[in-house]
Amino acid sequence: MNRLKKYFLLISILLFTALQSFASEAQQRFPKPEFATGYAQPNTTAPSARLMFLEYLDVMVLLVVLVLLSWLVLKKRSRKGVFWTSVFSLLYFGFYREGCICSIGAIQNIVLAVVDPTYAIPLTALLFFLLPLIFALFVGRIFCAGACPLGAIQDLVAIRPIELPKWIQKVLGLIPYLYLGLAILYVATKSEFIICRYDPFVGLFRFDAPFHMLILGLLFLIIGVFVARPYCRFFCPYGVLLGWMSKFSSKHMTITPKACIQCKLCSNSCPFGAIEEPVSETGKRRTHVNRLMTFFVLLPLWIGIGGLAGSMMHVPLSRFNKTVYLAEQIVKHPEVKNDSRNIDVRTFMSSGETTEQLVAEADRIRRQFYWGGWILGGFMGLVIGSSLIGLSTFRKRETWEPNKTHCLSCARCMDYCPVKKE
Amino acid sequence: MNKSTNSKIKLARQIAWVAGAFALIMAVLLIANFVQTKLNNPIDNKTIPELVKRLSQSPDDDALKAEIRAFDLMARKAYFTSQWQLRTGCYLMFLGLIIFILAIRYVLSVKSKLNEIDSIEKVNGLDKLVAQKWIIYAGSGLIVLALGSGFFASNSLKDYQVNENPASLADAPTSNVVSATAGQPVAAADSTTAQSNVAVTDTSKTVTAPVAVLAGFPTKAELKANYPFFRGAEGIGVAYQKNTPTEWNGAAGQNVLWKVKIPKSGFSSPIIWGDQLFVTGADAQARMVYCYDRNTGKLLWEAAADNIEGSPAKMPKVTGDTGLAAPTMATDGRAVFAIFATGDVIALDLSGKRLWARNLGIPDNHYGHGSSLIIYKDKLLVQYDTNKSGKLLALSTQTGATVWETVRSSKISWSSPILVNTGKRMELILTTNPNVNSYDPQTGKELWNVACLSGEVGPSAGYTEGMVFAANEYAKLVGIKIGATPEVAWEADEFLPEVSSPLAVNSLLYVATTYGVLACYDAKSGEKLWSQEYGDSFYASPVYADGKVYITDMTGKTHVVRNTRDYQLIGTSELGEKAVCSPVFQNGRVYLRGMNNLYCIGK
Repeated sequence: MNRLKKYFLLISILLFTALQSFASEAQQRFPKPEFATGYAQPNTTAPSARLMFLEYLDVMVLLVVLVLLSWLVLKKRSRKGVFWTSVFSLLYFGFYREGCICSIGAIQNIVLAVVDPTYAIPLTALLFFLLPLIFALFVGRIFCAGACPLGAIQDLVAIRPIELPKWIQKVLGLIPYLYLGLAILYVATKSEFIICRYDPFVGLFRFDAPFHMLILGLLFLIIGVFVARPYCRFFCPYGVLLGWMSKFSSKHMTITPKACIQCKLCSNSCPFGAIEEPVSETGKRRTHVNRLMTFFVLLPLWIGIGGLAGSMMHVPLSRFNKTVYLAEQIVKHPEVKNDSRNIDVRTFMSSGETTEQLVAEADRIRRQFYWGGWILGGFMGLVIGSSLIGLSTFRKRETWEPNKTHCLSCARCMDYCPVKKE
Repeated sequence: MNKSTNSKIKLARQIAWVAGAFALIMAVLLIANFVQTKLNNPIDNKTIPELVKRLSQSPDDDALKAEIRAFDLMARKAYFTSQWQLRTGCYLMFLGLIIFILAIRYVLSVKSKLNEIDSIEKVNGLDKLVAQKWIIYAGSGLIVLALGSGFFASNSLKDYQVNENPASLADAPTSNVVSATAGQPVAAADSTTAQSNVAVTDTSKTVTAPVAVLAGFPTKAELKANYPFFRGAEGIGVAYQKNTPTEWNGAAGQNVLWKVKIPKSGFSSPIIWGDQLFVTGADAQARMVYCYDRNTGKLLWEAAADNIEGSPAKMPKVTGDTGLAAPTMATDGRAVFAIFATGDVIALDLSGKRLWARNLGIPDNHYGHGSSLIIYKDKLLVQYDTNKSGKLLALSTQTGATVWETVRSSKISWSSPILVNTGKRMELILTTNPNVNSYDPQTGKELWNVACLSGEVGPSAGYTEGMVFAANEYAKLVGIKIGATPEVAWEADEFLPEVSSPLAVNSLLYVATTYGVLACYDAKSGEKLWSQEYGDSFYASPVYADGKVYITDMTGKTHVVRNTRDYQLIGTSELGEKAVCSPVFQNGRVYLRGMNNLYCIGK
């Protein structure tokens, strides 16, 4: 590493460690002692909210990072630049901002703003959601390359990546759609922000998480040594949206700066399996077309059955909602009403609400899950059907190109290409 | 690779080893710290609670206090130290990890400039087919899973039956008196129906009701021998007790047998059964039922109306002159019943043990719920008129389950029901805006109604000799003749009560107003016989006992008037404090509740 980069690393480490110590204010978790001398403890004050200007600073930093990445990927074509930008993003958005606010979670804020008229979405959340998508629409998934702290921490540990067979990638690639659908469903029913709750890396950023989440985070990192960026490729719901935008990007990064000379040196360079190889059609055309037509015709069936399956899940899915869970507890085990240690039941008992009202509310929420289940299931059916259709289509290709949907624009492949820019 | 590169790699490797080992050591230390804290949490130190217990036995032991302080300081030090260790350990471990990862990356990047992926053989067409196959499997699997889980999941919410039975702490027997048997005679057992002959009949035999819980329900005689409801055995303000006192002074103690301070305030009047006197009091902290020995004034027991399902944590807004304990209790000699402005109804046996309790829903009542309870046989009758709706409920005295519920098309009211035998049948008569309604107390069916009132109705009805009397300030005073079709026989509007209920007895009707006037009318014709201005407001209702009419004003003065067509004041007695509650009679004594104290007056 050259000197500049070394100093940069040192300074950033020192900076974030120093900043962390300010973050941990002395919280009154320990009971206040009483003093015989009559010493009066000062009143506990809540820490004031973060300065508005700092919130907008975050947005500015994101914008600067995205612009920088666009330049690094498209003009400078520097993998090193992208790497160190991702380290910066990890330190800033990950360890300093503790993983919140993040673009992935911002999906939920958007959905909540749509369903809840009393929720006023902050401008910062809106911008965090929109900016990466706008950039993706023009230059591809550069957000994933160097701005997302979750991607950055996984990228850091991707030391010995292996290539996964296509079918595994395709099957696991269904999960982000399901995750996205579930996240939207749970926000729409005002039950939960599951993207935040089940973010495996936020606990590592904050040095504080439920035990199972810490283990999950470490597991993701360990797997990430061999299977590059597992969360990004197989779980991230925001990746679905970025992939859709990136598909239409006109200025997506290319492996070669000029014409491809088909030297095949880049074919084993992508740890994410996102490079498309030249392909010519093999086998009988008619068979392929028949298969394609079959999958087209079956698409409505997938959607319908998927919708039905989703709707049938409404009972177990809705149990995630606190009100429904409480109502079920009280109905199935009425003796829980006498349990003095169950805080939820005690809160309900003293709220003045009757069991009838609680059950009616739970029923109403369950019906929302029923209709939401239809939509979610139908969406998953559409995804599965489209995936099958996509695998049946054939597009002749003569050069090595990044797959615009799956390519994370990390610029690793650029170093493999012998063609140099003048 | 040249020498400098080799040495760079070597250095990076060494850094990686050191950093990795360091991170590992920190990880082990953190785990050890975690385990140690789990086993021996400094906050959960067992020594301190033991010492504190010893201190409570010998509160002046200074050496012990110093010991506790020392232990406490140690515990706090240990806690904060462990927190610091945890935080620092985390940072250090993380630092080590970062350096380790970067060093490894450097080594790898220098060693082989371009990291070739461990790749697999790819055959385009075949790969796609295999992928399609697996997507179909995965998709189908997901669908089967979803359908299966949906099929086997039971929606327990659908099993929920609207449960009428209240949350009872004891196992109360299920109600088995829901349907009224058709041929059951409704007339009371007691054959003396003529209310006007009260003065002549009746022995003054005091029936001491047994404390043990009896089966069935009280007879008319038992009710009259006690004071079970607001304004007496029928709720009409007629007491059947004899030899009632006429002179006392609460402040000076003249004829005051005992005086006790009721712990919580309330405007409910006391009720009496046997030797026990029951009264309620409430504040935001608790709603209480108190039981006193009526002979000595000793508090026998008190019970809180708490832990009732649906009971609000935050008290409903009530005005200062109504409070949370305005309705008077009711008893059938087997149990006592109370209702509060929270909508909580509680049933206790005579020893204070809870039988059942339920919440009827927080009444939307801008002053506070005021209607008192009354009992017909085995039914507790609740007048529940709120801003939202009007209804009359009958709850089983045994279990609290709703026996019947009649919706009333009425506005909100604060009056209480009266339960009288009108000749052919028992009628439960309620006053409200706009009607006076009569119901069959057995079934809840409306018998008749007469539209004659308006405004915020506080006064309850009066009854004598086949006529019902109702009045309200800014409305009118009416005498309703009950016959084949009840109708208003006469009206008057000179003297109208706001809170005090009219008293009808022996062909005379008494009305006490908030502007301090007691007026007497001829019950049949409505002719005003006399009126007397006293100068202080009347909230309490006039009560008849032993040929006399007692009326207490808000300053606590009770005027005793002879029950005659001309005005004859027997005397005025002072209580010594403000009062709004009506007097209660038993065994030659009168019981008066002031704002703070309960008095037993007698010789």
